[in-house]
Amino acid sequence: MDQKLTLSELNKQIGEVLAGAFPVGVWVIGEISELKENRNGHCYLELIEKQGNEIVARSRATIWSYTFRMLKPYFETTTGQLFSQGIKILVQVSVEFHPSFGLSLNIRDIDPVYTVGDMALQRNEIINRLKAEGVFDMNRELDLPLVPQKIAIISSSTAAGYLDFINQLQNNPQGYKFYTKLFPATMQGVETVPTIISALEKIYRYEDFFDAVVVIRGGGATADLSSFDNYDLAYHITQFPVPVITGIGHEKDDTIIDLVAHTRLKTPTAVAEFLIAGVDRFAIKLREFESGIIQYAREILTEKQNELEEAATSLSYIVKSYISAKNSQLGKTGTRMLYSVRHFSMLKVQHSARLKNQIFPALKVLFTVKRNEVEQKTVYLKHDIQRIFLKRKMVADQLNQRIGQLSEKMLEREKERLHFNENTLRLISPANVLKRGYTITLREGKIVKSVENMNVGEQIETHFSDGKIESRIIKKEKK
Amino acid sequence: MNTKKTISYSEAMAEVEEILEKIENEELDVDELAEKVQRVSVLLKICKDKLTKTNEQVEQILKEMEN
Repeated sequence: MDQKLTLSELNKQIGEVLAGAFPVGVWVIGEISELKENRNGHCYLELIEKQGNEIVARSRATIWSYTFRMLKPYFETTTGQLFSQGIKILVQVSVEFHPSFGLSLNIRDIDPVYTVGDMALQRNEIINRLKAEGVFDMNRELDLPLVPQKIAIISSSTAAGYLDFINQLQNNPQGYKFYTKLFPATMQGVETVPTIISALEKIYRYEDFFDAVVVIRGGGATADLSSFDNYDLAYHITQFPVPVITGIGHEKDDTIIDLVAHTRLKTPTAVAEFLIAGVDRFAIKLREFESGIIQYAREILTEKQNELEEAATSLSYIVKSYISAKNSQLGKTGTRMLYSVRHFSMLKVQHSARLKNQIFPALKVLFTVKRNEVEQKTVYLKHDIQRIFLKRKMVADQLNQRIGQLSEKMLEREKERLHFNENTLRLISPANVLKRGYTITLREGKIVKSVENMNVGEQIETHFSDGKIESRIIKKEKK
Repeated sequence: MNTKKTISYSEAMAEVEEILEKIENEELDVDELAEKVQRVSVLLKICKDKLTKTNEQVEQILKEMEN
């Protein structure tokens, strides 16, 4: 313990040793884990080294403003990459040890080629991983809808690219209607990946609604491509159910999200043109269909009309020839019939004339025969009548003689009988009968001959020879 | 077909193409033709309208979306 140093003396000695150990500076590889630029333009960083996820080394670093002013644009234009946290850099540093601030690396120079190489390496790793997982082409394999009209936009509302995009889309000369919805995200720096993923997650809830998602960012700003060379973001895009179209405004190599996106375009303007052209293709197709259908319909109608006319023409020809055929047939038939009728009637006339000729002589003969018969019969009849008459006259004469003889005898006999009858008649005359004590009974003016049909109480009339009495039946008795 | 208002472009196009194909292959008789041509023109009109006219329902869905 001969020598005692103050802390400042020690730190000063450490500084001198370190300065002597790295006299011309040293090239160091490190990853920027923190980065701050103060008001004076000085840049304060923290550099780390990782093995896997473990940080195995850490050191503060500074870039003084006069260096930083030159170094930053040089780096960014060469790499196409923001000088920001998360990137790996190769820098020339002088190792400094400040008595009160401790160890610090003062960055004097940078080699952007290293970063480019590292990025390319990382990029390839990401691409290979996505391919190995079989997701690399998934978004590209989706079909963009026939008419991309409903568009989810991932961008920053303040970005010039966004406003240009909206203007161009809404004021398209064809007047197509686009429905757009902005899902805001930070489009550069460390917030890019998480905000874009968050926006995608929101859009995912309306996946059935949107036709496409566009990720756009205005050009002009310094490119910050490393954000888009991100595995997580790329993976989200590959898994997204709606086609993703990129227009993130850079001229360099495609970023990974460009590679996995459904369609990759350079600028927001190009995206708007693409969408309008897509709708336009459909509109043209509609017009083609329209003229096509009209033409087809016209052709078919013309064809059918021709067919109809042909059919009508041939029909009228067929009908005419049929009618004329029938007409001439009818004429022939008529003529033949007329001839037949005439012939028939002529035959009949001849026949009847022949019959007449045959009948007349026959009738004459018959008539003569019959007349002779009648005449003969008349003669016979006269003879018969005369004979019968004579015969009858003789009988009558004989009868007359006999009647005369008989009459006298009969007259005598009848005179005797008449005399006898007079006496008999006198005896049976009703008056004499009545005188002898018989009476006649009448009912209602009619003679009653039986007790049959006579009823008690009925009035009867009893005739006597010298008068009549009326009486009522009081009793009836049948024998 | 009473879904005229909500028919999608691809549904409309599929139907139009089907009808056109039938016409080209002369599968339709003249009586059907007029009806189908009418149908196609209706479908085309619906599509054309959808291209340029604002659909309030769609606008409403957009408005109701969270940011």
